[in-house]
Amino acid sequence: MLGRLLLLVIALVLAAAVFLVGRYAIDKATRRDTSDRPPPWRDLNVLSLAAQVVALGLIVTVGAWLWSNFRDRTDAIGLELTFDFLDQPSGISIADNPLSSDAGIRDALQQGVKNTFLIILLGIPLSVLFGTLIGIARLSTNWLLRKLATAYVEFFRNIPPLLVIVFLWGAVFLNFPIGASPTAEAAWRPLGGWFIFSNSRFAFPSIIGLDNFGLYQLLIAASVVASVGVWVWRTRVFNNTGVPHRRALWSLATLVVLGAAFFFALGGPFEFSKTTVEDRVWSGGFRMQMPYAAVMSALVIYTASHISEIVRGSILAVHRGQVEASHALALNGLQRYRFVVLPQAFRIAFPPLINQFLNYTKNSSLAVAIGFAELTSITNNLFGNSQPAPQLTLILMAVYLFFSLVLSAMGNLVNRRLQLKGA
Amino acid sequence: MTSVADSDPFVRNKARDAEGLPPSNRLSAGEWAKKNLLNNWYNSLITVVVACGMAFAVVRTLGWLFSSDFLIIRRNLAVFMVGQFPRDELWRTWASGYLLMGAFGVGSGVLWRSAQADAEEKGLPTEPHSWPDLLRRFWAIIAVLVFFVSFARTAPPFVGLASAFAVFWISRESGRRFSAAARARGLFFAGLLGLLSLLVLAGSGGLVALTVGGLVGAWTLSEVRRYVDDYVVGRGAASPEVLGQPQRDQRWRLPDLFKRPAWATWASRAAAVVVGAGVWFGLRAIDWGGYGWEDWGGLHLTLFVTVIGISAGLPVGILLALGRQSDLPVIKGASVIFIEFVRGVPLISLLLFSWFMLPLLFPIDLDIPGKLTRAMIVITAFSAAYIAEIVRGGLQSVPRGQVEAAQASGMSAGRIQRLIVLPQALRAVIPAMVGQFISLFKDTSLLAIIGLLDFLRASAVANAQTEFLGQGLVTVTYPFVALGYWAFAYTMSKESRRVEERLGVGVR
Repeated sequence: MLGRLLLLVIALVLAAAVFLVGRYAIDKATRRDTSDRPPPWRDLNVLSLAAQVVALGLIVTVGAWLWSNFRDRTDAIGLELTFDFLDQPSGISIADNPLSSDAGIRDALQQGVKNTFLIILLGIPLSVLFGTLIGIARLSTNWLLRKLATAYVEFFRNIPPLLVIVFLWGAVFLNFPIGASPTAEAAWRPLGGWFIFSNSRFAFPSIIGLDNFGLYQLLIAASVVASVGVWVWRTRVFNNTGVPHRRALWSLATLVVLGAAFFFALGGPFEFSKTTVEDRVWSGGFRMQMPYAAVMSALVIYTASHISEIVRGSILAVHRGQVEASHALALNGLQRYRFVVLPQAFRIAFPPLINQFLNYTKNSSLAVAIGFAELTSITNNLFGNSQPAPQLTLILMAVYLFFSLVLSAMGNLVNRRLQLKGA
Repeated sequence: MTSVADSDPFVRNKARDAEGLPPSNRLSAGEWAKKNLLNNWYNSLITVVVACGMAFAVVRTLGWLFSSDFLIIRRNLAVFMVGQFPRDELWRTWASGYLLMGAFGVGSGVLWRSAQADAEEKGLPTEPHSWPDLLRRFWAIIAVLVFFVSFARTAPPFVGLASAFAVFWISRESGRRFSAAARARGLFFAGLLGLLSLLVLAGSGGLVALTVGGLVGAWTLSEVRRYVDDYVVGRGAASPEVLGQPQRDQRWRLPDLFKRPAWATWASRAAAVVVGAGVWFGLRAIDWGGYGWEDWGGLHLTLFVTVIGISAGLPVGILLALGRQSDLPVIKGASVIFIEFVRGVPLISLLLFSWFMLPLLFPIDLDIPGKLTRAMIVITAFSAAYIAEIVRGGLQSVPRGQVEAAQASGMSAGRIQRLIVLPQALRAVIPAMVGQFISLFKDTSLLAIIGLLDFLRASAVANAQTEFLGQGLVTVTYPFVALGYWAFAYTMSKESRRVEERLGVGVR
């Protein structure tokens, strides 16, 4: 089939060539005026068409060849090219997850996508925050801080992210106090056991709703609206009279006072839940799996070193006159950064930041090295359970491609809003 | 007694200098600390906090350094460097290392010489190559070596490294003897040495002998042509010197002024083919022994995969970049789809593809190549996509007038790209390319995930030996590996910044 297709293409190309050259020869022979039409081997239209036909033919031929190889091989090992396997039991169990190994592959993959998303969701804001702080520290007037930040950046930029992950996991987090013992007494429990740091989980307090919790949430939402109103009111007062606005203080106080008032009025609509460990079963509170913490903190540490370079460069790229003007207005260091330098630097930094977000997303797949159950790791396990590789690879790549495209589309959208109009 | 110098304002007077000149910029230690550490309340606070933190970190690091047992590294040096390479054939790796050092030496000597000639011609300051300067440039690698020799306490690798460095230095000095005009010859020679190192290591199977044959053939071609041009074509006619053509650039010397006779062209080509094929078959006839790259490992494998990824990815990447710039929709579309697809998925997913999927794409009657070969195919595609984007940036930086001028002087499209656009574009992206090299060097650590024994996984292998099992010695091996990666990548990035400054990219 492949050979026949190839022959057809060659025949068509030959026919076209014969036609063009023949027409040119006839024109010449009959002394017709050909000054408006160059010979076909010099005609740009013909040449570009020919190049594209050849390129397309090449691509199609190679593609068809690979496809026929693929079919031969899959037929030989009896591989079905359907997605029916998604309903079979996955045979893998995920830590801290109710999904049992009987659950379908589809559910396992969904869980993987969710976990990948969790790494991205928490990690990107953290690395921006951390990276910005380090970028500012690199420009500090404090010599010690500046050198420390430089050493940090030069070290972490120049080692593989995978190494940071396995090091944090193998040499730091696994050396935390043992948490899997029956009583987990060895684990480090600061603040009266509200926090637990052990080598299997980190636990933090969480909130459990009691009676009237739904109503309380509504009232809190109303309080947030009220505190935003206070913020706007203080800003307006400041703009009209010049009285110091202290809007952050005012709105925070509004929120706390209202929240406390409603709390007591509703007779305690929620309570804090403490994590307890009994017979190796962890319950209550908010529990973070160790691999998750390891992957995320390692990626934040690594990405922050790249982001700090971007932030530093953009701060330096803000026009000198802006800084001098803010000095002339007697703004202090914090105000200078908050109101003059950072807003402008952020505009410059945003496009390269999108790139870092994409890198972060792709690097989240490194969690496979320490077995955190995100998408790549689960896919890898499924490969190990001899599930069909072609379909799984397709799903894996499609999901990451989707994440990348969505992130860069969102980034470009924000970037368009950020950039100066007409600039 | 007063002299003329005291009254004359235009004669230098030390005593007056001391009074009249502005105060010196040098600060005393106290003043410096006040200015740089304690200039306001929050900086003082930061200083105290950071100093306490650093003191703690230094104490902990020193504690780690002197309490840890580095036996695991001493025992497993070979694993870290060459993986599972057969132990009774380790001389091959040493010999190959020396040859490679020779290749680097000759190459860098020749490049130094031509950079020197270039700088002299343009009247630029030539680069000093003093010892303190070299120390400053390569302190990271030197520091890691010193650290490793003093704590792993093994003499043989140190002796080996010292002798490898001596080979490097000697060949560098001999590389400088090549005149700037013979630069191509010198680089050919360096390339041959490099291939020879591969030959010793891996034997003549597969592509190595073919590449050596091809290189020798190309060398023969250029030498025969030079001979013909100098002694057959040039004789009797005006010699290039008379015409005032600079002799060091061979390309412009002859083609348009003299016609090389057809028999000479064909004779040189025939000579090249005969010599090249002779070398190829000769090399294949000898049994060199050796082990192919599927048996390699450790730092050696990491560096090899990086070099192959970049050098094989470069031509593909350039083609992709040109394709992306093309006006032809089919070619442009195919390039864009390939580039964006590869850049949009993580390298791991590509490596998993190479592990599980790529075997299914080979013809059914063909033996499936090894895991490393498949990984290298994927890594080449990966780096090609990234290089394509870098090269695209370079292509866009070439002023439009250059292309228009070339078109006006009647050059063909191919010649415009080859002789006008690409040289300028590639020169502009050298620093970005080094950045890509570093990033690929770091990315090769992912080979560990698909179970290849690279520099990173050597650590896991060492920790799995019964002697060291379950003792938590990753706290020793991972820092060692990290320092190894860091020393290479840090030195390369510093060098690329230096090149960037020298090229003046971004300044003009």
